Formats: sequence, structure tokens, C-alpha cells
Amino acid sequence: MMQFRASGGVRWPRLSLLILACCLCAYASITTGGRGDVGFWDLFARDTLAASVMWDIRLPRTVVAMCIGVNLGLAGLILQAVTRNPLASPAILGVNQGAALGLVFGLVFAPVSNALGLQTLAIVGAFTAGFITFAIAGGLGGRLDGLRLVLGGVAVGAFAYAMVRFTFTLEDDLSRQVLRWTVGSITDVRWDDVKLIVVWAGGGLIATAFIAQRLNLMALGEASSAGLGADPRMTLLMGAFVAAVLTGTSVAVAGPIAFVGLVVPHVCRMLIGPDHRRLVFVVPIIGATLMMAADGVSKWLTAPIEIPVGVVVALIGAPFFLCQALFADDIE
Amino acid sequence: MTRDGLVFVALVVGVLLASIWSLSAGAVAIEWSVIANTLFDLDGPKQDYIILKSRLPRTVLALLTGASLALSGAIVQALLRNPLASPKIIGINSGAALGVCLMVLLLPSVSLAYLPIAAIAGGILAATIIYIGADLRGASPARLVLVGIAVGFLCDAGVDFILVTSSDAQFSAPLIWLTGSLWARGWTHLGLVWPWLLVCIAIALSLFYRLDLLRLGPQTASGLGENVRAARLSLMILAVLLAALSVSVVGVLGFVGLIAPHIARTVLGGGHARLLPCAMLIGMGLVVWADAIGRAIAPPIEVSAGIVTALLGAPFFVMIMITTQRKIRA
Repeated sequence: MMQFRASGGVRWPRLSLLILACCLCAYASITTGGRGDVGFWDLFARDTLAASVMWDIRLPRTVVAMCIGVNLGLAGLILQAVTRNPLASPAILGVNQGAALGLVFGLVFAPVSNALGLQTLAIVGAFTAGFITFAIAGGLGGRLDGLRLVLGGVAVGAFAYAMVRFTFTLEDDLSRQVLRWTVGSITDVRWDDVKLIVVWAGGGLIATAFIAQRLNLMALGEASSAGLGADPRMTLLMGAFVAAVLTGTSVAVAGPIAFVGLVVPHVCRMLIGPDHRRLVFVVPIIGATLMMAADGVSKWLTAPIEIPVGVVVALIGAPFFLCQALFADDIE
Repeated sequence: MTRDGLVFVALVVGVLLASIWSLSAGAVAIEWSVIANTLFDLDGPKQDYIILKSRLPRTVLALLTGASLALSGAIVQALLRNPLASPKIIGINSGAALGVCLMVLLLPSVSLAYLPIAAIAGGILAATIIYIGADLRGASPARLVLVGIAVGFLCDAGVDFILVTSSDAQFSAPLIWLTGSLWARGWTHLGLVWPWLLVCIAIALSLFYRLDLLRLGPQTASGLGENVRAARLSLMILAVLLAALSVSVVGVLGFVGLIAPHIARTVLGGGHARLLPCAMLIGMGLVVWADAIGRAIAPPIEVSAGIVTALLGAPFFVMIMITTQRKIRA
């Protein structure tokens, strides 16, 4: 009954505040940049250099930031639900690094040139890394251990990260991009990259919305979930697949950006509670807000030098993770 | 000769062989006879410059840092009574690296001689945060490890931030070794740390009985007349010193402090009188070998020793996790 009333009109002010914040961050992301004289209204100018800066450089970047926020936020939401672990997220479970490894393999060893092939490799890498972490934590035997999940993820992530760096050491041409592949950066994205990610972000959102009710049932425990007609193994498989696709596609565009998947679901749960049917629509908004804000900060903080956006997010996310590690209750 | 004696002889021989290989491997492969000629000043062909200026200091540095990382790991594992703990996992290495980075960033004119001090300050700060943080919640080993991982992430984020915001290539390039490499390390770097490292290693080796007592658990240890708090604190500081000093010269070499004590414990059991020297020898061999293999794998390109130890150590870590899990269940 509470739930029903809570989902009524009372929620609208809060939701519109969120949307307002999102728009403000989009504005902040799009107006900051190397050329301080180019502003928002140049979007509507015709055939000037300023308009070109807005349309060809800043707008795609902002859109990509938005999509990555959506992707990683949703991936974190799904992973936290299916593992029932508040610390789960693509970066901490090694999924991010696995995707980066898959992608780097594609770039170096099997010269895959088309974007779809690279994305597929990233998705495969993400799924494999997630599976290994899950297996290490005892998930295959049905006893998922929270601490082991995190430790296993750190080990898998460290291994994949070392492999990425190893590959780059051997390949001189690519080694200049190494920072992008270790911290995540969206400095050079263009409309081609937008095309690559926007479809997946939308598709991922729809897919997550479809399994939202299953994720809710997971929270009750595996036995209850099975009793209510949702096979938890099926939920896990679907969730892992969607999360791998979301993570892999965003890593393929921007490199492994950490902590978005950890922070965003927590913030959303604080705001609107644990119901995944609503979380699934709020997580993308907050994720996009966070990423666009981070993008703005990355361009503004040390102007005229740009910091990779992944570093900005890590500086926000790592203290958050520390708080989680200190105050989360159900770890031991 | 007893089994323990055999193990030690084998280890010493292994370390020696690894060191010789480390002197010979690299962009210019050098014959063993040439190495002998150069080292002992015999007649015949020599390679004075490469061996004496580049590879010898590197190898000695690898031996020293390997020993100190392994001992640091052994102490941390005994203190936390957790085979999965290591100075890297609980964030001490990253803290030391952040200390080094901050010093280079904020005080660029200060001489290199202060790098070890900055590293120690960073390591101690990280350890303090971890300890206080875990203490807030009753300091269970699981919590401690988790908080350590988080502190490590935080320090890594800081290091990344400093590395990418320094537009000056002159500045960021020397900091690349923070990710764990012995590239371009010479006698000057060795001169910075060897006295301190030798003292710390000697102290660590002489404190084996304290570790044995602590391994019995806090109640038993204090029942046997040990001041548990003081012993824990002093040993923790020692572990931080060992790890931070080696980070200040070779950067973050992950997993050495994890692997070496674990192998030593499997081979010789848990008594620290034998475990500590054994772990030390394994650590020495491991770092020398990792550095040499990084140079030998695709010359003239060098793969950082940190990458090699991570590629080796991460699967090893997983293996330890799975086997300890089995033991707990059984």
C-alpha cells in the first residue's frame, strides 16, 4: 500500500529536480572547453567556426558522456542486484578491465578494424572476466561470498590490467594511448563513436526495464525468487549478459571508467528506495548527470589541459568506495 | 643434511642463478664468461659499461627490494592472520607511491634523497587510515582487507590524477616507474635506500619470535607475556618501512609480498624462524627473475617487472583464495 501511494504524484517534484540537475550538468559539460569564447548559443549559429566546435567536438562528447553514465550506472545496478553485494560494480568485479583486455586483443593481435567486431570482443572480455570473478567467489556452487567476490574481482582486474599494459609495451604505436586504456578518457570522441554507443544505451535500458522485476525478486533471496516463479540462475544469466553488453560497449568507446557503476546505484537507492522498477529509470538520469558533470570538471579544472574523465570520476568514486567499505554492514 | 637445509641451499643457488641470468639478459645478451671476466676483473673480453653501470645495480636493487617486500608481506600476513593480505592489497604500496608523487609535484626542487621519506610518510598515512578505519568497526580481518583495498584505490586515483595533470613530460616520464619497474635504476637509487633497507631487514629477521607469538592469537600472546598492542604497532611500522622504502626506488611491484611468504609457508611450515629467511630468498629470486624476464621476453623492448609480477601473482592469488576456501569448508 505504501509502495502504491509512494509512486503517486508526490514523486514528481523530486523527479523534475533530477531532470533539472541533469540538464544543468549537460549545459556545464557543453559550455566548457578549450575555447572559452564558444558558448551555448553558438549551437544555433550557422556555418561559423564556433558552431563547428559545438557540433563536431563538444556535442558528441557530451552525448557520449551521457551514454556512458547510463551504461555503467545500469551495469552497476544489475551487478549489485544479482550478486546481492553493495560493493559490486563493473570496475571492482574486474568486468571493466576484462572488456579493455578483450578490446586491446582485438586491436593488437587480431587486426579487427570494424567497430562492431571490437565491441563484440569487449563484450566477450567483460562477460568472461565477470564469469571468472563469479566462479572464484564460489558462485557456481551457489554460495556467493561477499568478500571473496571483491577480492576475486580485484585479482581478475589486476591480471587483465597487467595484460593490457603488457600488450601496450609490446606495441609501440598504441602505447601513447595507454592512459586512455587504463583510466578512461573521452577526449577524442566524435559522432562515429556516438552512433556506436547510443543504440546500446537505449537497448540496455529497455532490457534492464524488462528484468527489473526479476532483480527485485533476487533481493528476497534465491529460494524466494524461485518460489515466486523467477529462476534465480536465469536472472543471473540475463543480468550478467546485459551488464556485460553495457560495460563492453562503453569501454569500447571510452576505456575503463571506474566507480560510476558503484556510486550511481547507491545514490539512487538513497533517493527513491530499493524498487528496481523505478531505479531502472532514475539510475540513467543520475548516471548521465554524474558523467556530464565529471566531463565538465575534467575540461575546467586544469584548463587549458584536459584531464581524462576517468580520473575525475575516480577521485569522486574512490572516497565513496572507502565509505562503503567502512560502513556497509553485510560483508563479513 | 636436513630437509630444511636442502631447501635453503636450493633457494640460495636459485637466487644466484637468477642474478647471473639477470646480468646476461637484455637488449645486448652477454655470455656468462664475459660476466665473470667483468665482475672479477679477469683477463678476456669484458662488458664493463653495461654490466657495472646498468645491470649490476639493477640486480642488486632487485635483490634488496625483493627481500624487503617478501618480509613485509610475511609480517602483514602474520599480523592480520590472513594469507590473502599483503602490503599491496591493503594499500600501503599505493600510499607510498602517492607520497612520492606528491613530493615530486609539490617540491620539485628537493633532492631525490628525500624520496624514501616521502614514501614512508605516504605508507604510514595509508596504514593509519586503514587501521583506524577498520578499528571503528571492530577490526575484523575481512573489514581490514576491504578498507585496505579502498584506500589503495583512493591512492591510485590520486597518483593517476597527478600523472595525467602534469603537462610536463619531463615530470611525468620519471614517474612512470611508479607502476613498478627497475628501468634506469642505478647506483644512485641504490645508495638512497640500501642502509635503511639492510637495517630493516635485519630487524625483521630478528623479530621472528614475536611473529610466532602473535600468530597464536591476541589472547594467547598476551597470556604468554607479550604486549600485543606494542608488538603489533612496532611490527606494522616495520612492515610499512620495508614496503615504502622499496616503493620509493622501484615503484609498486604487486604480489611479491603475497606470493613469497605463501610459498615459504607451504614449504617450511608456519614457524617464523625459518619462514622469514625462506620468504626473503624467494622474494629476492622472484623480483630478479621478473626483471630479467621482462628484459628477455622481447628485446629491445622492456616489460616492467611490475607487469610480470602481476601476471604471475594474480592467478596465484586466486589459487590461494580457492584453496583456503576449501580448507574452511572442510
